[in-house]
Amino acid sequence: MNPADIPSVAASADLSIFTLFWQAHWVVKLVMSGLIACSIWVWAIAIDKFLLYSRTTQAMNKFEQAFWSGQSLEELYRALAAKPNHSMAALFVAAMREWKRSFEGQSRSFAGLQMRIEKVMDVTISREVERLEKRLLVLATVGSASPFVGLFGTVWGIMNSFQSIAASKNTSLAVVAPGIAEALFATAIGLVAAIPATIFYNKFASEVAKHTARLEGFADEFSAILSRQIDERA
Amino acid sequence: MRRTRVAWTVSVIGHAMLLLWGMITFVIKPLEATPMESLAVDVVSDAEFSQITAGVRSAKKTEAPKPLVEKLGDTKPVEELTKTVEKKPEIKTASAEPMPPPPEPRKPDPKPEKSKSEPQKPKAEEKKPDEKKVEEKKPEPAKAETKPEPKADPKPDPIAEALKKAEEQKKQAEEQKKKDEQKKAEEKRKEEQRKKAEEKKRKEEERRKEIAERERQQTFDPSRIAALLDKRDAQRQAATGDTLNQTASLGLPTGRAAMLTQSEIDALRAQIQACWNPPAGAMEGSELIVKVRLMLRQDGSLEADPVLLNRGSHPYFQVAAESALRAIRRCQPYRLPIAKYQIWKDVEVTFDPRDMYRG
Repeated sequence: MNPADIPSVAASADLSIFTLFWQAHWVVKLVMSGLIACSIWVWAIAIDKFLLYSRTTQAMNKFEQAFWSGQSLEELYRALAAKPNHSMAALFVAAMREWKRSFEGQSRSFAGLQMRIEKVMDVTISREVERLEKRLLVLATVGSASPFVGLFGTVWGIMNSFQSIAASKNTSLAVVAPGIAEALFATAIGLVAAIPATIFYNKFASEVAKHTARLEGFADEFSAILSRQIDERA
Repeated sequence: MRRTRVAWTVSVIGHAMLLLWGMITFVIKPLEATPMESLAVDVVSDAEFSQITAGVRSAKKTEAPKPLVEKLGDTKPVEELTKTVEKKPEIKTASAEPMPPPPEPRKPDPKPEKSKSEPQKPKAEEKKPDEKKVEEKKPEPAKAETKPEPKADPKPDPIAEALKKAEEQKKQAEEQKKKDEQKKAEEKRKEEQRKKAEEKKRKEEERRKEIAERERQQTFDPSRIAALLDKRDAQRQAATGDTLNQTASLGLPTGRAAMLTQSEIDALRAQIQACWNPPAGAMEGSELIVKVRLMLRQDGSLEADPVLLNRGSHPYFQVAAESALRAIRRCQPYRLPIAKYQIWKDVEVTFDPRDMYRG
């Protein structure tokens, strides 16, 4: 904003969101558009995660039902191994694959089977958790950083408007107000992006912890079952 | 990934809609500050407050607002300090009238009860006409003599000489007669004066009695016994004036009493300073400024001892203050416009010794 076009700013009576954005300094514009992009990203992630977690929970419930229904584990494995699986099913498939390999081969190796199965399950759990946690860090970053980014835009805008005041030597509120209003708009956008990001991050972090606990519980149970089977066969 | 794409599109569409909604609804309306009803507040200083003519809103409207007077002021006769020219009887010389009528007895003084100090005045005035008469009469015989001389000189004549002698004799006789008459008139006048003085004395006594009586009446008012029994010192001075006025007037349109103009205050100060010898050490005198409160009577004399209003730490201050008070006592009575007596009956005067040295 040049000092020269202060009068035009003062003269423009309509201060809609669009004009507020359009008359801002390019740095402030950059901050605003970056923050809007951040907001879009945050919401995209949030919707994505929401869908993911609801589906994961559904799948887990379905799998557990099938698992404890008394169905043969072989049949279950055959049904699940064909299509790509997530979370608990993947855990089950990974453990069953290792079991099958140990029994179907010529050399029956029971010695380290228990340990191998546990390792495989640990790896699968960590992979699943990583998939669930993916891009949650973006939410955390946006939630903590975007207020500061918005504040930077505000400070820059106010600095500019004060320079304009100094240049125009006119301190009437009509000259000062538009600059300050558009500067404050940057902070507003920053807060708009930051507040949902923080809320979603907290919610999704607890969701991830819940899922992880559930996976670990299943893994322990399944490994106990397999261990009993190994001892029986050995 | 399908899910991610869905999420992105939903987010973008949501933001776009939010922005659109913001653009539509976020309409800036000009702030409507309801205009406050302004309250006019006047700051009244002490001086202004004291100049306000004591007025009551519910008072009756009068032509000329009177100041509140609670006590009758001293009704002292005003002494006329400037000497006025009095009409004197025309003096007629003997030359204008050969046979002057015996001088008319002087008319009695037109204002016998004018003031106390009058008895000396008329005496001094009365001496004057006598002297004048004598002086003016002296050249008179010479005038009469010189008149015929220019004619007689060229021809000295025995008949003329005889005539002259006769004339001279006649004149001398006339003069003798006139002198006698003058003596008689003077005696008569003196007698009259004596009579007049006596009369005046009597009148004065009468008046004194009257005043005393009135004072007695004023002092003993049965309705004010409570006030009379109250032996405490008065907290304030009662507002005095020439006529009692218990009710406050409505007030002037300007709400401002008449004030002494600067030139009148300066005139008063000049009168005081004429008698003032500021202390010699008072050259550097900003600390020697002395403020004095004067209470004056209508004749310009002091009603009470002047009151010193300020104190100073300068070693010479007390000396300067004393000298100022002395000057005030010595220079009374003061000549001030009588019309503004209500104002100058209680005035404050500032003495600045620097003014004296500045010249």
